[in-house]
Amino acid sequence: MAKHPEPRSFPFLTLLVVTGLSAYAVFHLRAVLAPFFLSVALAYLLNPIINWMESQGLRREAAVVLFYIVVAGSLTIAAQQVLPSIKEEFTDLKASLPVYLDHGQDTLMRTHAKVLHWLPMDPTTAKGYTEKIYEPLIEQIQNIPSYLLGLFPFLSLFFLIPFITFFLLLDWHNILSGFIQLCPGRYVEQVLYIIAEVETSLGNYLRGAMIVVAAVGTASYVGLKLLGVKYSIAIAALSGVSSFIPYMGAIVGAAVGCVAAWVQSGSILAGLKVVLLFTVIRLADEAFVQPVVSKHAVKLHPLVYLLSLMVGGELFGFVGLVFAVPTACILKALLKVGWEWYTTEGYLAAPPVDGESSPYT
Amino acid sequence: MIKFLKRLFTDPELQKKKVFLRSLELFNDLSSRDLGFLVRSLHTRTYKEGEAIFEEGDIGRAMFILETGRVELGMREQSGKTRKIFTLEPGDFFGEMAMLERLPRSASARAVERAHIHLLYRANLEEILHYHPRIGVSIMTHLAQLMSMRLRHANKLSLLHQPPTYG
Repeated sequence: MAKHPEPRSFPFLTLLVVTGLSAYAVFHLRAVLAPFFLSVALAYLLNPIINWMESQGLRREAAVVLFYIVVAGSLTIAAQQVLPSIKEEFTDLKASLPVYLDHGQDTLMRTHAKVLHWLPMDPTTAKGYTEKIYEPLIEQIQNIPSYLLGLFPFLSLFFLIPFITFFLLLDWHNILSGFIQLCPGRYVEQVLYIIAEVETSLGNYLRGAMIVVAAVGTASYVGLKLLGVKYSIAIAALSGVSSFIPYMGAIVGAAVGCVAAWVQSGSILAGLKVVLLFTVIRLADEAFVQPVVSKHAVKLHPLVYLLSLMVGGELFGFVGLVFAVPTACILKALLKVGWEWYTTEGYLAAPPVDGESSPYT
Repeated sequence: MIKFLKRLFTDPELQKKKVFLRSLELFNDLSSRDLGFLVRSLHTRTYKEGEAIFEEGDIGRAMFILETGRVELGMREQSGKTRKIFTLEPGDFFGEMAMLERLPRSASARAVERAHIHLLYRANLEEILHYHPRIGVSIMTHLAQLMSMRLRHANKLSLLHQPPTYG
């Protein structure tokens, strides 16, 4: 056999520098990159469907276009059913928002006066303390319309994300093959191992999250509708989307739904019913949905969940909260692979097999 | 018209890969549909002449199917030199032990000419076994038959090289 040059060692330092620079770039470009990351996640979720269509003999381009046509058709039919309700809710909210805000401000003022009356201290000192609590609350209520307007730029994502996803789905195999082709030949198996581990943990998390979002959103809509709360579609959508962040779906749904029900009916009992509804939804999620979802998912300690959410929120704001847990899943998979390499690579020996000494018959 | 539509919607590359895979003994039991699923589970890479595919002692995680080109398998001798033990031709597969055990590779593999190779990664085979058990069982049965054949051959060789016993 011809003598070949010894293979070079793995360029860990280069990898470290490239990873560091990439992390720095991602941090500074986070606002721009968020739609791309969301599109990658969506493409990743949809890829098995396109793969299945491809395995049936369809050309990938045809499979992607056909899938988009089917989804667009289904969404158009669904929108025809749901859009009138959304429009009705929106028109109603536009008309009643100032009334609700005034009502909220009045309620806060009245409770402020009551609290001042109850507090066993000098009224001027008590007012100083309570105003510190109440003034920011009143300020936040006044800011609600601008917060709602601030949500409109996010609507552009509904067009941008499917657009980017389309091209990612078309070139998914080429991107992966190109990456594998770039890796040094000897490390292809290891790179595939990393991809498989990340795919397992991230894929299970994303698929699980989608199931939770759909389940919480649907249950919230049905529950709120039964309780007769107005704007049930908006509150259920908010609660469903917030479920991407663990434990947040029920909290956001209960908080917004409670205030809405309280203001609409003028009774605190209606608000408490909504809180009870979201408590039941949370418990049902824990009892019935989570066991199915987390069966194959990466097990993250609740403290790791919390820490990743805090770090993600601190570094990247709302986007950081959404991507915190998937990033923790990826890091855990990478750590697992790294540790396995460190402990096993080159040190494994064939285990003794029972009956090894008996002749093969 | 039908021909035009067929050309527009069907993937000729997939058909080519299916024909190649069906020509291998390992996959000749699989139906066209099964081969479609299998193709989607394979990763493909082109290795340059002289490029290492794996080294003796690396942990095996994939099986390799050679479509074009030639690959040499070699073993390290005590002197440190690598001794050639086999040359693989198109249609051969190697590294299949990684499908059954998580142990260091017993030989090195290197492309002696530009080689187009399909990789079946163990996690992909496990996925096939889970979601398409018929395909997975067929592959595993062929691998088991191959191992059995090699073991019989090794037994025969060890008997031939045993010193004779008297009395």
